[in-house]
Amino acid sequence: MSWSGFKKSVNRAGTTLLQKTGQIERTVDREFVEEEAKYKTFEKECQALQKDSKGYWDAMRAMTAAQTRIAETLEVFYGAADRTSEGAMAGHAYKRSVDDLDAGFGRELDGPYRTTISEPLGKMCAYFPVVNEHVSKRNKKLLDYDSARSKLRKLIDKPSEDPTKLPRAQQEHDEAKEVFDMLNDQLIAELPQLLDLRVPYFDPSFEAMIRMQSKFAEEGYEKLSGVQRYFADNVRDDYAAGQLDAQVEEVLQEMRQLSICGGN
Amino acid sequence: MKGFGKAIKRTPFAVTSRIGMAKKSSDPEFDDYQRHFAAMETGAEKLLKETKVFTDAVNSLFTSGAGYAAHYAVIMQPISGEYDLIGKNPEAEHTIRNVTKYEAAMEEMRALVSPELELIESRIVGPTKELQSVMKLIRKSITKRDHKLTDYDRFNNSLTKLRDKKEKSLSDEKNLFKLEQDFEMATNEYDYINNALKADLPRFMTLSTQFIDPLFNSFFYMQLNIYYLILEKMNSFADDAKYDLTNVTGAQIAQDYEERRTDAWSVIENLNIIKRIISVSRLVQANRSQNSIGRSGSTATGSSVGSGSRAPPPSNPPFKKAPPPPPSAASHAPPPPYTPSSSGNGAAVAAATKRAPPPPPLKPKPKIVPQVQYVIALYDFVAQADGDLSFNTGDKIEIVERTASAEDWWTGRLNGEQGVFPGNYVQDA
Repeated sequence: MSWSGFKKSVNRAGTTLLQKTGQIERTVDREFVEEEAKYKTFEKECQALQKDSKGYWDAMRAMTAAQTRIAETLEVFYGAADRTSEGAMAGHAYKRSVDDLDAGFGRELDGPYRTTISEPLGKMCAYFPVVNEHVSKRNKKLLDYDSARSKLRKLIDKPSEDPTKLPRAQQEHDEAKEVFDMLNDQLIAELPQLLDLRVPYFDPSFEAMIRMQSKFAEEGYEKLSGVQRYFADNVRDDYAAGQLDAQVEEVLQEMRQLSICGGN
Repeated sequence: MKGFGKAIKRTPFAVTSRIGMAKKSSDPEFDDYQRHFAAMETGAEKLLKETKVFTDAVNSLFTSGAGYAAHYAVIMQPISGEYDLIGKNPEAEHTIRNVTKYEAAMEEMRALVSPELELIESRIVGPTKELQSVMKLIRKSITKRDHKLTDYDRFNNSLTKLRDKKEKSLSDEKNLFKLEQDFEMATNEYDYINNALKADLPRFMTLSTQFIDPLFNSFFYMQLNIYYLILEKMNSFADDAKYDLTNVTGAQIAQDYEERRTDAWSVIENLNIIKRIISVSRLVQANRSQNSIGRSGSTATGSSVGSGSRAPPPSNPPFKKAPPPPPSAASHAPPPPYTPSSSGNGAAVAAATKRAPPPPPLKPKPKIVPQVQYVIALYDFVAQADGDLSFNTGDKIEIVERTASAEDWWTGRLNGEQGVFPGNYVQDA
């Protein structure tokens, strides 16, 4: 921090203290307070939205990537015994379709998701620190203005011996007011504009999002259901009836009976 | 304690065999099974891990999806005290009307997926863990077999050494007898367990395949169900909300998005509050000079602050004189009229006694032209007040800001000077 910056912050700390003790009147701009509150809500929601949109994309990628690795593990199991069994064929078909899904979907939607969801959000969220900088600048200038005004008033109430003091205080007051007004007016004028613009800004993302969500589900469903051709006819019904779980239990039981498992 | 004693006895052999002083026997058939078994152990480990990754991903997909929908709905709905978003943004009406439904659909989806995830936990993860515990037992047998093999080799070596000894002492003879007994026992024990493993490991491999078949089938249907769940919910939402979800390429989605994108982007980019503050004093300077150029009353609320040309149009029309008619007005459009246009706003009209205001401020958000636009001067124009831009016929003027109507004062830049001029004095370059 520069020397002048340090001086400023010390002075402002003093003003804040005097305001807290009621020595200096504090300016409250209701219009600004309202706009700022709305803006803060918007900022918070946008940041949450950004986080969730990233989480959604990452989850889609992680889901299909995990499926490809699950498929690899299945091959290990099938590879242990008979590579040409029906199950091994189905496992292989499964691997092909999840590989296809993982690669194809990532390649196809990576760009569009970025264009339609991540980038608009990222851009908007990148604006917030700058806007906040404007807001904090405005608040600092408000303190300067409050302090200059209180000085001026004191001089008017209690004229000083030094005749140059009053005009100087007047000038300081005017300058502080000008700077504050400029920043304040700009925020009051533009914060609502920013908020209004959010609707047309984010609107097109909505349709893109639901189309991509549905595309993801549709391709996943279609690619996977093709694997069913390699299953025996009764598998689907067996699954529905819970038969498959019983089979798994049976095999586990049989394994435990093996002599090498200490079964006997 | 017995195990500890055994370990101590086996250690010297482990050392000598490693440095090649003692022979170590191997059973290729068993080694082959062992390798397979080890692969399956890592396989089961990996399956558990990846299943966990998968369920976590699904969980996060649905949670993020619901969160996204909820936050999006907040953003697309009035924020504390705002009103009539649809009226202000008619093109977004469809979206605004459907965000709540979307939020509900995503939330419902999130609730529906948890039974599927529980199913994976109990029907896939559970049995796989069982399988792992079986494998641990087998691993124990394999370790035991390795120990027995060590014993076998150890006694075998000692025995061979002793037998090969040319002159045996009395104690050697005694030892020989004992070693022969030990060796026979070790052989029996090793053979028993080695044969058991060789018989049971292939059996176990076959059983694993039988195990993985139904497990894989179940897992497959669970995965399929998850995709189906999303698909079905999205479709019913889209049916209800009238969205077309025909599967098109990702590029098409991006392209449709680009087409629907409005100029909100560029308008936001032109706001001053998203530009970094470099120096407040410079801003004040710019503000002052702009106020004098723009002739917008400095007493006004001052929404036209900012760094020169990028400022948004003032919300209150500055009061201005009408520009003079073009020199040869006969065949050309008349200059901006002295009387306010019919849509002029009342307050401004009342305030401006002599000088007609320009048409009301740009109601549809000004389309900020991304690249620099030029116009060509049709007539000479001489500045009549501060802030006017003088030019000669044929001059190429850079447009800073123009309105929809030529009957208005436009802002332009020429030879480094910026000012306003009548729009009907120029034509597009």
